[in-house]
Amino acid sequence: MRAGALLFSTALGFAILAGCAHKSAPVKIDPLQNAYGSEPDWNDAQRIIPLSYEAAQGKQIFYEQCVWCHADQTPAGPSNRSNVTPAPPLWNDGATLNSLSDAFLEKFTAQGGSAMGKSAMMPPYGQTLTPEEIRAVVAYARAIAVPAPQVPSRPGQK
Amino acid sequence: MNPRNVRGLIGWIRRVFFGDPARRFAWVSLLLTLSLAVAPTKDFFRQWRHYQRQYFKFVESRPDATALRGRMVSGIHQIWLPDLGVVDRCTTCHLGIAEPSLADASVPEPFRAHPPIPHDAEKWGCVVCHRGQGSATEVAAAHETTVAWEQPILPIHFIQASCGTCHRDDLPQAPQLDRGRQLLARFDCTGCHKIAGIDRPAMLGPDLTDIGTKVSREWLYKWLKEPRTITDANGNVTVDGVDFGEPQMPTFRLSDPELRELSAYLSTRSAHPIQPYHFDPRIVASLSKRPDVADQGEARFRQMFCSTCHSLAVTRAGETSLIGGDIGPELTKIGSKVNPDWLAAWLRNPQQYLPHSQMPRYEWSDADLYEVTRYMETKLTDPDLLADVPKLGSPTKSDIEAGRRLFVDKGCASCHVTEGLSPQEDFGPDLSAIGARNISQLDFGPAKVQPTLIAYLKSKISNPLSVNPSGRMPQYHMDAESLDAVTAALLSLTGPPATRGMEKLIVARQKPEFHPAGEFGKLYERYKCYACHKFNGFGGTLAPDLSYEGSRAMRQWLIQFMENPQTLRPTLVLRMPQFNMPESDAAVFADYFETAMQSPAVDATLDRKEFTPAMAAAGKQLYEKKYQCQACHTIGSAGGYVGPSLGNAGNWLTPGWIEAWLHNPQALVPGTIEPRQAFTADEIQALTAYLLTLKQSGPATGAAAASSARGTK
Repeated sequence: MRAGALLFSTALGFAILAGCAHKSAPVKIDPLQNAYGSEPDWNDAQRIIPLSYEAAQGKQIFYEQCVWCHADQTPAGPSNRSNVTPAPPLWNDGATLNSLSDAFLEKFTAQGGSAMGKSAMMPPYGQTLTPEEIRAVVAYARAIAVPAPQVPSRPGQK
Repeated sequence: MNPRNVRGLIGWIRRVFFGDPARRFAWVSLLLTLSLAVAPTKDFFRQWRHYQRQYFKFVESRPDATALRGRMVSGIHQIWLPDLGVVDRCTTCHLGIAEPSLADASVPEPFRAHPPIPHDAEKWGCVVCHRGQGSATEVAAAHETTVAWEQPILPIHFIQASCGTCHRDDLPQAPQLDRGRQLLARFDCTGCHKIAGIDRPAMLGPDLTDIGTKVSREWLYKWLKEPRTITDANGNVTVDGVDFGEPQMPTFRLSDPELRELSAYLSTRSAHPIQPYHFDPRIVASLSKRPDVADQGEARFRQMFCSTCHSLAVTRAGETSLIGGDIGPELTKIGSKVNPDWLAAWLRNPQQYLPHSQMPRYEWSDADLYEVTRYMETKLTDPDLLADVPKLGSPTKSDIEAGRRLFVDKGCASCHVTEGLSPQEDFGPDLSAIGARNISQLDFGPAKVQPTLIAYLKSKISNPLSVNPSGRMPQYHMDAESLDAVTAALLSLTGPPATRGMEKLIVARQKPEFHPAGEFGKLYERYKCYACHKFNGFGGTLAPDLSYEGSRAMRQWLIQFMENPQTLRPTLVLRMPQFNMPESDAAVFADYFETAMQSPAVDATLDRKEFTPAMAAAGKQLYEKKYQCQACHTIGSAGGYVGPSLGNAGNWLTPGWIEAWLHNPQALVPGTIEPRQAFTADEIQALTAYLLTLKQSGPATGAAAASSARGTK
């Protein structure tokens, strides 16, 4: 009985020791400091969306190649969107893009509109951008989408 | 507890533990065994073992569990690179960094795969980029500032700073770093600080040797108080942000006596009096009576595209913004600023007043110059600009002397030349190793911020007084994104490389220069072509790279374009200014481009006679139906405006260039946004044939349009 008490207190000692090893709680820091980049919500400039590495790469490509027709404001001022018929979707248009799979959007970007039975006004980017770059642009669309995509877009993502 | 009980307890312990030798031996053995077990138990509970067990459990939930488990090695991992001084054990806990299947954002840290970058962790280690203590095996010791290790890991948001430690040259993959370096140069930080990798230009701020001939003492007082002209009724700056042509001059916190003294000193700087320009009296007589002379001047100001370099404040729907470029200063209230005689002299020959000015020397007719100066003097004004400036009168000798001392004390001489004195260097601290500074070396003063280098740098730049209330550093205005970029650029400055191996990795900064000799070289300097265009890697980025212009454009088109630049891209706000260049100058440019600015990828011998009307008809079909190029290009008035207008392509482009371009645009202009398409050889030929048929009638169209728009004759 007494020996049991002794053993118990020893075990308690080890438990405390083990507990000490986990005492340092992670420091809370600004989520943007942990992001590779950020983008203000296109509909609400106050909301800053943190971007993953892939989405941040996609943002860079988007603002070089795609912004001219897939946004209403471009770095040069006006957008070419109104000159293109049918009007291309805005890149944050979740209502349109969320229902399309990543594989479809990537194929569409790489092969262009005419290869997919859509408007030929969308040129193919398969020889200009690498598959990784195209994936990044799609990841950027998912990051800024309003409404946000509900289901995980990547196969195998749980 | 009374003494009898204590004695009883001791007696009991003696009996139970040490009653006989066997008992003694048994108990001592047990205690010994337990104490020996402490070390393995402690080891079992180590933080990294905890993460390795978690990883093992986590891997079971993945579809490729067997493969992941097979590749997992338990125990402490270490990357040892003696050349770089790297001893990194980060992969002990960050177990999945090389597992592509763990790249999803849903994978919990520390198991997520590293994003794909050109540098492999096995070859480079982790702390080379991420900083922190690589040899640590506990989270806090590895990531945070500890007593023994001050450098914490770099927040991901600023990770591009690490690229800059070795890549001293521009790095398009690190846009934040590039922008930060550009801002360090733009804000003339090198005026006071030594910053490795940022060039010290020939002229930082304007030369003030003759400033007294340009502006009044009152204007100087106002400017020194708050170097912004676009303010609201309460004096608040209404246009802010470095991207909109706002002045580079920061705000110095000067008291009223200091403002009086400095303005007194500067207003007497006039070593070279202005020779007023005498306009042709007949032109003055005919134009000065016209009521719309200022309006004509405004039209001319617009036609010449002064706005490509200079911005004007425009208020729409209660919001003020600057419209125009940022190469030259903003001109909204220039008429209330400068002396009219100075303005005319400046426009005729800017380099006479400022030898290092980037402003081109235009070819002016007296009528144009008169109209434009009248416009600037009468319309670009603000009668209230100097309303809140106290009466200053003529400067006294003691004020001038005190102002001269202030000019040196406040660091003005770091950026501005005066009296022929060169700017003083090293007025502020050396920043060559600021990014490696330890927290214990930083003086936060009264600033209430997190004790990190990043927080220190950000508050030092955005509000220097909060860190050092008696400091000399002036106040800069920048938005959050620019502040982050400058911080990243400063964090990249970690001083001389720590090891020989690191030294070998440094990618030095390229400093291309292109200053050709001869007739072309003189005109190139006169019109400052390189302020906007790039030539063989040297020059600005605002306008197209002209390194291969001779292969691209037809000679006749080039001459007409330079005499009267028309727009190829209808929506561009910033267009080539009209230099009023004589044809002989344009011909010098065209000849030089034709002989020296050629691309080896373009077949210059390709003859347009090889293209038949049948090909052109097929090409039209391809253009309009199959590829729908009109999404981005205009012909006439229809089409999109992402690419240049092709309505005059037949006069503009050479057949060899069109073919080579359609084959692979990026090979001719790296980074062009025209997507490369998989055209067949026949399609390329047909499209080239079609584009060569597109010609706008008459070479004089542009000039005629310009003079009719001018409407003076």
